[in-house]
Amino acid sequence: MASDKKYWKSLEELDTNNTIVERLRNDEFVEELPIDEFLGNKESLDNSSTTRRDFLKFVGFTTVAASVAACEGPVVKSIPYVVKPEEVVPGVADFYASTMFDGFDFASILVKVREGRPIKIEPNKLAGGSTNARVQASVLSLYDNNRLKGPKINGKEIEWHEVDSQITSKLNQLSVEGKEIVILTGTLASPSTAELITNFKNKFRNVKHIQYDAVSESGAVEAFETMYGVRALPNYDFSKVETVVSFGADFLGDWQGGGFDADFAKTRVPKDGKMSKHIQFEANLSLTGANSDKRVKTKPSEQAFALINLYNKITESNLPSKNTSVDKEVEKAAKQLKAAGSKALVVCGNNDKNLQLLTLSINKALQSEVIDVVATRNIRNGVDSDVKTLVADMHAGKVGALLMYQTNPVYTMPASTNFTEALKKVTLTVAFSMNENETATVTQYALATPHYLESWGDVSAKNGNYNLIQPTINPLFNTNQFQDCLLRWTGSGETYYDYLKKYWEKNILTNASWNQTLHDGFYISSPKQQTSIKSVDLNSVASEINKNYNFNGFELVFYTKTGLGDGQMANNPWLQEFPDPITRTSWDNYATISTVDAKKLGLQNFHVSNGALNGSRVTITVGKTSLKEVPVFIQPGQAEGTIGLAVGYGRTKGMKQEMMTGVNAFYLNDGFKSLQQATIEKAVGIHEFACVQLHHTMMGRDIIKETTLETFNDTNVDPAKSWNKKAHVSLDHKNVEASTVTLWDEHDTTIGHRFNLSIDLNACTGCGACVIACHAENNVPVVGKAEIRNSRDMHWLRIDRYYSSDMNDDVAEELQLGVLDKFDQMEIASDNPEVAFQPVMCQHCNNAPCETVCPVAATTHGHQGQNQMTYNRCVGTRYCANNCPYKVRRFNWFKYKENDEFDYHMNDDLGRMVLNPDVVVRSRGVMEKCSMCIQKTQLAILEAKKDGRPIADGEFQTACSSACSSSAIVFGDVNDKTSQIAKLVEDQRAYHLLDAIGTKPNVVYQAKVRNTNES
Amino acid sequence: MRSVFKHHQTKRLFIGLLIFLLYPISNFAQEGDALKGKDLYNANCAACHQLDKKLVGPPLKKIGEKRDQKWLLKWIKDSQALIKSGDKDAIAIYEEYNKIPMTAFPNLSDQDIFDILAYTDSDVILGADGKPIDEAYENGKKVFQTNCAACHKLERKLIGPPLGNISDKRQMPWLKSFIKDSQAMIKAGDPDAVAIYEEYQKVLMLPFPQLSDKDIEDVIHYTTLGDNEETVQLDAELNNEDLELYKKWILRFVAGLILLIVIIVIVSTKNTFLRLLAIMFFMIGFAYYTFSWLFQIGVDKEYQPIQPIAFSHKIHSGDNKIDCQYCHSSAKHSKMSEIPSANVCMNCHKSISEYKGILYDGYDKAYYDGEIQKLYDAVGWDKTNAKYKENYEEKPIKWIRIHNLPDFAYFNHAQHVTAGKVDCKQCHGKVEEMHEVKQFAPLTMGWCVDCHRTTEVPMKSNKYYEEIHKALAKKLGKEKITVADMGGLECGKCHH
Repeated sequence: MASDKKYWKSLEELDTNNTIVERLRNDEFVEELPIDEFLGNKESLDNSSTTRRDFLKFVGFTTVAASVAACEGPVVKSIPYVVKPEEVVPGVADFYASTMFDGFDFASILVKVREGRPIKIEPNKLAGGSTNARVQASVLSLYDNNRLKGPKINGKEIEWHEVDSQITSKLNQLSVEGKEIVILTGTLASPSTAELITNFKNKFRNVKHIQYDAVSESGAVEAFETMYGVRALPNYDFSKVETVVSFGADFLGDWQGGGFDADFAKTRVPKDGKMSKHIQFEANLSLTGANSDKRVKTKPSEQAFALINLYNKITESNLPSKNTSVDKEVEKAAKQLKAAGSKALVVCGNNDKNLQLLTLSINKALQSEVIDVVATRNIRNGVDSDVKTLVADMHAGKVGALLMYQTNPVYTMPASTNFTEALKKVTLTVAFSMNENETATVTQYALATPHYLESWGDVSAKNGNYNLIQPTINPLFNTNQFQDCLLRWTGSGETYYDYLKKYWEKNILTNASWNQTLHDGFYISSPKQQTSIKSVDLNSVASEINKNYNFNGFELVFYTKTGLGDGQMANNPWLQEFPDPITRTSWDNYATISTVDAKKLGLQNFHVSNGALNGSRVTITVGKTSLKEVPVFIQPGQAEGTIGLAVGYGRTKGMKQEMMTGVNAFYLNDGFKSLQQATIEKAVGIHEFACVQLHHTMMGRDIIKETTLETFNDTNVDPAKSWNKKAHVSLDHKNVEASTVTLWDEHDTTIGHRFNLSIDLNACTGCGACVIACHAENNVPVVGKAEIRNSRDMHWLRIDRYYSSDMNDDVAEELQLGVLDKFDQMEIASDNPEVAFQPVMCQHCNNAPCETVCPVAATTHGHQGQNQMTYNRCVGTRYCANNCPYKVRRFNWFKYKENDEFDYHMNDDLGRMVLNPDVVVRSRGVMEKCSMCIQKTQLAILEAKKDGRPIADGEFQTACSSACSSSAIVFGDVNDKTSQIAKLVEDQRAYHLLDAIGTKPNVVYQAKVRNTNES
Repeated sequence: MRSVFKHHQTKRLFIGLLIFLLYPISNFAQEGDALKGKDLYNANCAACHQLDKKLVGPPLKKIGEKRDQKWLLKWIKDSQALIKSGDKDAIAIYEEYNKIPMTAFPNLSDQDIFDILAYTDSDVILGADGKPIDEAYENGKKVFQTNCAACHKLERKLIGPPLGNISDKRQMPWLKSFIKDSQAMIKAGDPDAVAIYEEYQKVLMLPFPQLSDKDIEDVIHYTTLGDNEETVQLDAELNNEDLELYKKWILRFVAGLILLIVIIVIVSTKNTFLRLLAIMFFMIGFAYYTFSWLFQIGVDKEYQPIQPIAFSHKIHSGDNKIDCQYCHSSAKHSKMSEIPSANVCMNCHKSISEYKGILYDGYDKAYYDGEIQKLYDAVGWDKTNAKYKENYEEKPIKWIRIHNLPDFAYFNHAQHVTAGKVDCKQCHGKVEEMHEVKQFAPLTMGWCVDCHRTTEVPMKSNKYYEEIHKALAKKLGKEKITVADMGGLECGKCHH
């Protein structure tokens, strides 16, 4: 129907005199288009003899010429050694036993070296070593392009001999003047270096050696010294634990140097109907709390009183205290601790000497055999009061020289110490450093030290245990070890290697050879006996606690993240991209806050249209210092009135721009306490997170199957009918088990090897060592924060974390909720949720949905059970990823190597040295995924063929299984009926993920069992 | 057309065969071959006869001149029959030599006997090259090579001093005692012995008490004459390459001819059907050739780059029969076969500093020596003083890689060489006949897969395969299990 109605596009059209409207009626654009400018002089264009057809001819010709010329293959040079080292066979990896200790992480390791390049860290199982994510990633820090490549004076390059002569003359002068010379280091725990420092003291007299731990355990060290007379930490044998109660101690993480998770995991797998009981009182939701059987949200100030109350309950004494909101739980805990007798343990994470004294007293009262006061740990040795004195001395101008090694005080010291100003009052400042970090840029001398994979050294992390560090590559840069410098400055002509060897042969090796020890990487002698146990006046301890913990307002609790730890390796892209096990967020630190507090303060977390997470910002103030623009992450399970903030972020010097993420929490760490009273205020702006998991709960599905220990032990309950129910489907209107129905032709799975992977959800702590191991083994690219926000992360192995929800079918029925409301509520995690971790990688389905949809047969099934992805065949349709029920396929949206847009390790020659030569680097536009480390299984088979022998159980390993310290991931051949994996697949806890779809995966999970027993 | 060449070949072969068969006939004469005779003499006669002295039997020098040939034939074959027949000469000898009858040699043919006589009668024995054999020289050379060559060369220093014309410098008795026990001489304070000891870094010479005086004399004789071998110039060889080239050209010619016909048909004929047919033929042909051309892109078969050192595999592996895996030692352990590092070359080239083999393709000795010198430049070897130069900056040799697999294909040498027991030749061709190595196999996936389909896995006596062989043999109903049966065609095995 015609209409004469006129519609105006805008108000301007009504104005008939408007020239712009007039022009727009005739032309598309208002302005004159600069065509002439673009094409050049109009006149010369007209005179040109090149017609359009000629132009097309030229274009065509050049295209063809270029493509024909490109057909010529490039000439590849192949340059062999001139003199080949005897032990090197190109193409065959050598393994060297060594040790990693950077003052924070300690691990006995094996270093895999290919053609002289260390490319992978494995745990040295002979030495009982285990690796965490940081240790696994440390190999990449060797190839860090931002490393300090030679010695520098005030930012200018200098020769080592000049360094030596200048510094020795200055030291001599200061020594004559009687000024104090201070060596400030992290915890060294190196017996030979300790002797070297003693020699240094003897030479320059007025020398002090101060150890300073950025993440301090000073309280525990001092408490132990007070009670047992030795400045060290007690050791714990967690494999003996029956009941453990932790007050804010993240003992599966970095508490007291870490390394307890492997032993503790042994007690978590139900055996003969028994497993350990773990109760956690904490404020932040830590990895340890997430794995506990019972987690009690407790403010740190309440934890202090709860600890006194626990002591009172256990010893039936009457130390001064006050009532807390968790006393009921404390009472229950006390009962269970007593029941466990000598197999009970109490641990405390607070860096307060009084609380640690109380904890030690409780363990003494329990006569705990878990705690070992003889074979003590030297892994943290710093005492905060020494550092405070040093800073005061520096301000007073008493310090003549400050030599710093394995420490970065300018970054880690709290703002209140004003360390940079203090440094200016020191005559001679020297930083030994691997990169131009915050400290090395403000000292006079920045002396380049080698990475630990290029160094000699020794560590005695535990009394009686000695570990050797050996170089596995020639130093990449013009570096010198701290120890070599000390030797030269004290006038010794020896190299540190000679010194070390001599020292060991004289002091440590009683009846072992140097070569054998170097081969093994460790030496164990009996620990020296402890002398005295002193009595402590607990009444005064308790009254001091009473005085100190009358907090009001927010309590700020510092913690270390599984990824970055104390921040030494902040320039490591693997660790930056590693998603935090709890928050599943990478590339950031943030203030974690409870839902209740967030609501009160008007703080929000919300998802934007592409699924990425955004959040509010706050300003946190401690005393006079405040930290601005701290992003807020609303964390289920966070105790109300507390804020968690991770240290290790907010580095600004000596690293790539992309890695300068987060805020520096050390800044607020006034007086080196692990907790502060703070005020918090909403700030303007929205922060963008890189969070890889959108859903927090399982929404009522049994992705993770779990049961209680009681039900598990009940012989009347058939697991197949209760907690490990097999999925059922309808076939011909009959309810049958899903595994009996299939659309596919079955593979013959009986001949040859049949690889299966078992993941024990009870043993898995979610530590993520496997994620980094997989990264390193399989050349998985780093994509950066922006791409993670686009959900384009490339991790082949992810560890899903699920919170429990208060909503379930029964509750919904009770409340008469509709389906949509029910699911809405199911997505909301409980206030104090139970947490479960589930590593998910390609499930290597026998009936793989991805294989059937690939139009080019780029993904196929192998005889050995592996679902194989052929990159060179893939055309990038992504049908497979869409059809994968487990969402484990990763697409190369970009070229991640040699691309300035992704300026991570694969963008420079140095960083690419870490690549595994047995695994191809994928190109843009192809799909990739877990291969079940086919390069490793094939190698194991080849080695057996070469030797003409059958393969023993345990020879087949994947990167994740060999990195898993808690033995949660077990890999092997199920056709070898004697193998561990064959038994695990048949275990009553075993189940397949999403078995209802009948994919018949070769990855099997072991259902989680919680010990809810409270008596 | 092909048959023409085949015929050519057969004719050549026929003539060759004829010459070969006729050769011995034409050579048949009383003359005898002294060289063969010597061997026969040593095997049969030397136990009882010497050439110039009586032993058990009479001396045999110039025996052919004393006795009649026919008589000798009879005597050697059965001397006792001759004696019984009452031959005077025979009886006389029998009497003279204490009535010990000579062993009968019915096994010797007439020709053998002529050969022996040729040897006993000749003044000098001619070698295979037609030159007289100097027995002392030959023996000396042999002794030198087994005992001395590890530490000495004739013309240059090695571990010990050069031995060429050593007799000019030292007296024979001195040499004999030095060789038998140099240490004793040094201890005794012989000034010359001590001087040598000092000069050669106090490395003691091994004592050789087992050498007889004759041996030592022979060695000295050899060192005086030196190596008088002459390097041989080789005739241009007949090869099959020309033939291949002819074939190629003929194919091209035929293809061109067909194309021409097709074009003529298209242009000239008015028969629409024929024209259509021709066009279709033309199109299909064109498509076929385009595709074949496209498919050979990146296939570098016959790739033969010029290497920085003209290292000849023919000389090393062919002429000198060095095993492939002596140099490419990691082929059995590793995924790479490894280009040997220069120190492996030096294992031999410490003592081989000049080329004495066949001169190929018109190159002279200086050329080959120059190539060896390139190796010395790389490692810093001083060949006159026979030691490494101190503080020499080594120069790695930048070889050009011939076999280039793309990154996405994983290949493991050990898998094929050690586990699969595949001969190097199978993929690399007859390297021992190549001067400069060229890529023998196309290295395409089709080529890999073809072999995996047909090759039997050597499963016997390898315990790894025991179970799997049993199971597979039962399932497939055959004893021979190919690589493909084992899963050797799965993508992920080579692409990961």
